[in-house]
Amino acid sequence: MVTVTIKVNGETRTASVAPETTLLRLLRENFSLTGTKLGCDVGDCGACTVIVDGKPVNSCLMLAGQVDGRDVLTIEGLATIDRLHPIQKAFEDHASLQCGFCGPGIILSAKALIDENPAPTTQEIRDALGGNLCRCTGYTKMIEAIRVAARTLRDEVADQPA
Amino acid sequence: MRAFELVSARDSRHAVALLAEHAPSAKILAGGTDLLVDLKSSPRGPEVIIDISRAEDLKIIARKDEGLSIGALVTHSEIMRSPLIREMFPALVDAAHTIGAVQTRNLGTLGGNLVTGVPSMDSGPTLLALDALVTVVGPAGRRQMPLAEFFVGPRKTILKPDELLMEIVIPKQNLGKPAYFLKFGLRKGQALALVNVAASLWVDWDKHVFVTPRIALGAVAPTVIRAPKAEAYLEGRAITLEAMAEAGRIAVGEAKPISDFRASAGYRLDLIAVLTKRALEGAYALAKAKREAK
Amino acid sequence: MEKKTTVAEKGAPLETVPEAGSMLRLPASAPLATRPIGVLVPEAGHQTPAVGQRAPRLDGRLHGLGQTKYIDDFYLPGMLYAKIKRAGIASARIISIDTKEAEAMPGVVAVVTGRDVPCNSFGPSLKDQPVLADTRVFHAGDGVAAVAAVTEQIATEALDKITVEYEPLTPVLDPLESLKLETPGLHAPNPNIYGHKVIKKGDVEKAFAESDHIFEGSYRTQMVEHVPLEPHATVATWDPNGRVTIYATLGRITLGRADVARTLGIPTSRVRIVATTVGGNFGGKNEITTEPVVALLSKKTGRPVKCTFTRAEEFASSTTRHPLIMDYKTGVTKDGRILARKIRLVLDGGAYCSWSETTLSKACILSAGPYNIENLYAEAFVVYTNKTMTGAMRGFGAPQVCFAYESHMDEIAAALNIDPLEIRLLNVFEEGSLSPTGQTLHSVVVKESLLRAARRFGWIEAQS
Repeated sequence: MVTVTIKVNGETRTASVAPETTLLRLLRENFSLTGTKLGCDVGDCGACTVIVDGKPVNSCLMLAGQVDGRDVLTIEGLATIDRLHPIQKAFEDHASLQCGFCGPGIILSAKALIDENPAPTTQEIRDALGGNLCRCTGYTKMIEAIRVAARTLRDEVADQPA
Repeated sequence: MRAFELVSARDSRHAVALLAEHAPSAKILAGGTDLLVDLKSSPRGPEVIIDISRAEDLKIIARKDEGLSIGALVTHSEIMRSPLIREMFPALVDAAHTIGAVQTRNLGTLGGNLVTGVPSMDSGPTLLALDALVTVVGPAGRRQMPLAEFFVGPRKTILKPDELLMEIVIPKQNLGKPAYFLKFGLRKGQALALVNVAASLWVDWDKHVFVTPRIALGAVAPTVIRAPKAEAYLEGRAITLEAMAEAGRIAVGEAKPISDFRASAGYRLDLIAVLTKRALEGAYALAKAKREAK
Repeated sequence: MEKKTTVAEKGAPLETVPEAGSMLRLPASAPLATRPIGVLVPEAGHQTPAVGQRAPRLDGRLHGLGQTKYIDDFYLPGMLYAKIKRAGIASARIISIDTKEAEAMPGVVAVVTGRDVPCNSFGPSLKDQPVLADTRVFHAGDGVAAVAAVTEQIATEALDKITVEYEPLTPVLDPLESLKLETPGLHAPNPNIYGHKVIKKGDVEKAFAESDHIFEGSYRTQMVEHVPLEPHATVATWDPNGRVTIYATLGRITLGRADVARTLGIPTSRVRIVATTVGGNFGGKNEITTEPVVALLSKKTGRPVKCTFTRAEEFASSTTRHPLIMDYKTGVTKDGRILARKIRLVLDGGAYCSWSETTLSKACILSAGPYNIENLYAEAFVVYTNKTMTGAMRGFGAPQVCFAYESHMDEIAAALNIDPLEIRLLNVFEEGSLSPTGQTLHSVVVKESLLRAARRFGWIEAQS
């Protein structure tokens, strides 16, 4: 057994798991954070995308033990009690999620992109979503939503008092 | 995944000690993008997994006396972001960008890509075209060899079970050597190369001839290979589009691609001719741009 | 560093037990900071304006918050995890199945095989698919045994401990081979051709004789998997009154309920199927797959059981789109008007019928394309092969035949040196045209659509 202590969505949590446990299973089964999805379990579909130390990764390709002491953001950590994250809001407004299964991964990929590049072009958005598959909605509505969300976030930064 | 024991290495020295203790029933875990997939699909795995992902001394990109050293644990994303690499070898950035997708590039490492030994690896050709060396460390100490000797066969490298790939070194005579990488896959993201090609060259501007041209091909032989006949043809020859096209045709004869569900051997051979020519054009254009910038 | 221990030394396996509080997570008790901000609920009796309006998706908010619960997100107290052993051989007779070693593994609670299934056959039309193969394997993705264990990993490991002895048989893989009468029947005594349809209109042979040109073409499409992002998943649990509740990624629950009741040998009133949010269907989740197996394991163990497909199972053991072999023969006048068309479609049905009959009909009806053809003979067959079964998928055969008839039209246009748009405008349906099956068509706008599309992408300018 390995003991893993990570900061998830700002909260420090500990679990004791078998060494072969992936980060994905740790989040879903030990921490009940089921917003992170298992789609292919081999790093192709991106449904399990979470942000570790600021970078989007496939949580199915990391062992829980590798993440000990690190900072993990899952889809559950994006909204606050009274406010959707602007990306979530834009996805809702643009009806960008049909079945929704790929949504958490896509939204986190978008978050990581906008954090690094506040004004992404369509091509840059496509590149950032290259590791996320969607089978129902299609990507057009998502790309629209991500552009709008990026603009909202830029405006918010601009509106903040200096 | 089958049960195993997980141990974590603090640094490369610790990793070598752990390998000495647990080899041959141990496997190194770096980025995990290949290893974890293999572990999930194989009924029997190693007893011990040595996690080296925290070994900071393997994550350094630095200019050294012998050349540019890239630590084995540098991820593909880090290569794309490195100002040093961007400036000296944009081809390495392009190659890194074609690997997997953002998530896998954030995890996958340069060393890991080389250690898999798969013929379609995207990191191999550019490094081969730059005469890169690899440093390997084991219980007997360090040894260094040309990357070309590191690959033994499909999914086979020269690494012994108790050895660790430490760094990749691009020798100092090749720092800033114009190089160009091209990959042809079935889609832009998350696709393996049907063929990938890298070319590097110096130009003697007085005579306008090729100097030490290098051509490396991936996914067309049991390992990533050089195309020495095509290189020999170009050496000292006047730089023309016709010469580049001819080098492409010669390179076709040096490859032994297979037919599989991704592409037929014939299609791959056609790709080699076209991509080799374009890679040479790209490397030459870069050489020209560098000269003009001076 | 931890001491090295083997699995055996570890003794009792580690169970996946959600931490305190997580039992309560249904319907929703995520940490406070992540609790969703009000959910959209439509007002009772209020008709939302629909046409021309931009309406928010009611489920969009929870999807984006990651709070939507799909089956794999469910946990019921005491739940076990099931895994299914797949045959891995296209065609074989099963000599024996030995599950003793698997049953003896610590952490394994129950194993079932086809013999445990009260009625081992199902299907949305023909009941030709075994729940678990017991005497014959018809394709490599067939299940031959299933394990319920305290963790998914132990269930997976237990599969390797199940030994199945096969007598390999020569598989039939080519649908044209299967079509031949001398080919032995996969599901003998039933013939390999298990569906057939003919559409006849006018006199094809006579019209061919009157045609200026005859064109022939053969077209093929490949097998396609739906690849829903969410793999098939099921949770089954029994209540004290002998009723089973099955949570399933199933689109057609009424049909599924009848099939489950039949295989379990209990009245439909004892089966309750709860359809949850499905993470992508596309026709691939239109029928039951492993629901009876999971129900049996739950019955045998007295505990809830969950089974989630791996991505590999999704490809090998769920339905796919029919590959079609389509032969076209068309007689036209020298100015490009179609006088007659003869079509033969062969649908590769894979190992089981599934929704083949629907696909066969629709493909056949649509195979002539949206064109006025006075003399038509279209014949379609669906045959068994030892491959993953084909079933419902978006369009039920329509995309395949579209590829064939439009490719054929382009070839005819090229041979006659007629503009591909012109030849279509000359032949397409108009208001009041009769479909191949004699239906009078209304609101027909094919010409207008073609012309508008041609203008939009600059076709007409490019030709002039």
